[in-house]
Amino acid sequence: MVDASRHPKVDVRTYTEVERVEGFVGNFKAQLREKARFVFEDRCNGCGDCAEVCPIEVPNYFELNIAPRKAIDVAMSQSVPLVYNIDMDSCIECYQCVEACGELDAIDFSMEDKLVWEDIGSIVIATGFNHFDPSAMTEYGYGRFPNVITAMEMERLNNSAGPTGGNLIRPSDGKNPESIAIINCVGSRDKRFNPSCSNFCCMYAIKNAVLLKQAYPDMELSVYYIDIRTPSKGYEEFYDRARKLGIRFIQGRPGLITEDPETQNVFVHSEDRDLGRVTEREYDMVMLNQAAIPQPDADTISSVLNITQSPGGWFMEYHPKLRPLDTPTDGIFLAGACQGPKDIPSSVAQGAGAAARAGRVVHSEEWEIEPTVAVVWEDRCISAEGKKCGVCVRACPYGSILYEEGKAPEIVTAKCHGCGGCVAECPHNAITQLHFTDAQILAQIQTLLADKPEEKILAFRCHWCSYGGADLAGVSHFDYSANERGLRVMCSARMDADFIYEAFRLGAGAVLFSGCHPQDCHYITGQRVGAKRAKRMLKQFERVGMTSGRFRIEWISAAEGDKYARVVNEMQDVLDSIPEEELQEEIEKLQPYMEKRARRMREVPQIEEAASFAEKIALGHGTQDPAST
Amino acid sequence: MVGDNGNNEIRIGVFLCHCGSNIAGVVDPREIAEYAATLPNVVRSVDTMYACADSGQSLIKEEIQKHNLNRVVVSACSVRMHEPTFRAVVKEAGLNPFLMEMANIREQCTWAHGHHPEEALEKAKSLTAAAVAKARFLTPLDMIKVPVTQKAMVVGGGVAGINAALDLADQGVETILVEKEPTIGGVMAQLNKTFPTMDCSI
Repeated sequence: MVDASRHPKVDVRTYTEVERVEGFVGNFKAQLREKARFVFEDRCNGCGDCAEVCPIEVPNYFELNIAPRKAIDVAMSQSVPLVYNIDMDSCIECYQCVEACGELDAIDFSMEDKLVWEDIGSIVIATGFNHFDPSAMTEYGYGRFPNVITAMEMERLNNSAGPTGGNLIRPSDGKNPESIAIINCVGSRDKRFNPSCSNFCCMYAIKNAVLLKQAYPDMELSVYYIDIRTPSKGYEEFYDRARKLGIRFIQGRPGLITEDPETQNVFVHSEDRDLGRVTEREYDMVMLNQAAIPQPDADTISSVLNITQSPGGWFMEYHPKLRPLDTPTDGIFLAGACQGPKDIPSSVAQGAGAAARAGRVVHSEEWEIEPTVAVVWEDRCISAEGKKCGVCVRACPYGSILYEEGKAPEIVTAKCHGCGGCVAECPHNAITQLHFTDAQILAQIQTLLADKPEEKILAFRCHWCSYGGADLAGVSHFDYSANERGLRVMCSARMDADFIYEAFRLGAGAVLFSGCHPQDCHYITGQRVGAKRAKRMLKQFERVGMTSGRFRIEWISAAEGDKYARVVNEMQDVLDSIPEEELQEEIEKLQPYMEKRARRMREVPQIEEAASFAEKIALGHGTQDPAST
Repeated sequence: MVGDNGNNEIRIGVFLCHCGSNIAGVVDPREIAEYAATLPNVVRSVDTMYACADSGQSLIKEEIQKHNLNRVVVSACSVRMHEPTFRAVVKEAGLNPFLMEMANIREQCTWAHGHHPEEALEKAKSLTAAAVAKARFLTPLDMIKVPVTQKAMVVGGGVAGINAALDLADQGVETILVEKEPTIGGVMAQLNKTFPTMDCSI
């Protein structure tokens, strides 16, 4: 901690939050809110005279609220930086602290939050985790029975720097406990709260048991567990040491804790698998080993930084094996438990790894980004002909389109992120996206629907989420209908209405329009541009009599492989439920409508060529001399 | 310019990956390769045990040069897995990296439809053909080069963030360490001793 504050290249900004992040790899702009401390960092010398005279005491978050702090105080004596701050919610503004501070003149009641902008090349997210609140598990009586405490409360009570100076006392009567039960998996591996394993708590239970046994050799210690998981180096040996110290490990998940109202001792009711029966044992105290859960503001961080979350709320890595420290946003990396529960050795290792990944970016003089940007065909733009338009400007989430009436818009390449929203929205097909041109996509659509289109489910997926969801369905070997034919674009914003009309014109049985959940969109508001269009089309299709379910809109994240498989299977069920002749009839009836709707796309350069090429593929089974294999 | 390699004829090479048994255990890549060979503008269509391995990469490079290919389709796994790999391969062989297109016949085909090999084969052919169709219209593109601000930001001053900030700083990078609480240290600073070595946490 101190190393960080002393390092000349580290600028420690405590009591500061990230409000906004704009820009892209190598060129981020971050807006930071420096919260008002009401104490000048450069003047405060940490003497503590102010806290001594302060008459107000409030709970100290750092001590899990089991000890007080003054309205002007530091979290702990080893705070870095050792600078006091005033909790204005509890301060009565008696100004005794100002007097005590005297000539240092470090206190300023008029201080306000400051907003500052910083230019940043790369970002490491290390926002950590939070602890599950066990009061939600009423069977354990936390909050009702004073001698049932959490693991973090135990950390402070059995800590020489803690409020009792390391003298472990039980909250009900201040006596030293002679027996303690530690209960594992409180809120983890529990389908009511968090189904996953919190990774480090088995070792954490053993650590606390060993520490207590070393400090109080006569103490009776039991650890209740479902499984003991000690997979890392030296961990199993540590567990072995605990058993040799006489700590009792009981396999069983306690179902109930009760209290003797007189002694306030607690009874743990649990199965004991060694004995093969349910037991009821009395202890002076119980420590609940809480699950690790995502930070309460993880959603905010994820939307500010444009990074994705896994279903449990942890930040999602680009690829669990190949790029475990990267986020899908180039230039932003993950370290520590914000990505998933992790112990200290793993967090330190990941911090070092993320620093190396982030260093790769900032040590480069320039960084290469994909050229999949939007380009305007001036001769097709009606604005260039003097007509009013500007649709493209409204679709752009980045403000990268310069528009002036009477001229074709200009796209600032360095600002364009390549979502394709303007391309799909342009009513005159006057914009294209490099590497995802209308001709390229049309050629794919036609090829995928070349054979028995009425049986096919054509699935448009965005690169970042739904394509990843489809990948995960495969990785997890979730069986879904093999009639699905997938097609990838960068964002649902690029899923042009023309593509959907064209797919149905060609006789597609069903079409899936699938992208990120709105908060996960890789292009700020790209998903919303796509969603608005898709919803409009859904209404149109209803109006013209399309069977419900043949066109479906779904937001599927890269972590939702199960959802991808389920959605495709449900679409297959819709197709199976329509008699073959009826479906054919419906397709034919709607064809003129689709043809009319998609007609403008036909004017786009290369479209006819793409159509005839795809036709050759469709008819070309064996017509060309086979290239040698 | 229609093609690359200095000629105007589109010459597509298709490479079918077995991925050991991951793909070949469900469908026969040779059958897909034979089918792809019949598609317009496909001048080479070959299968290989592992397209991403050295041997597979060398094969692709040799075939590009030997047959003057100017478009490459790799029918293998997810673009999220190996698009950078195969872009680099075609680049080494002198082609623009954007003249390579992948068909995902592993994650999105054989892994999902392992119990329906016939349908999986039909789908794998269709996905490969769609990649060929797109490849026909690919154009060479240059990466966009952007300048880089030589400064990093670490959000969160717990044990992971502190280590990341120190390592970046030791690399010589100006680093801002942002922490929302009044002190850095995070959960780690609240702990007594830490396992397995039992040393103190701060």
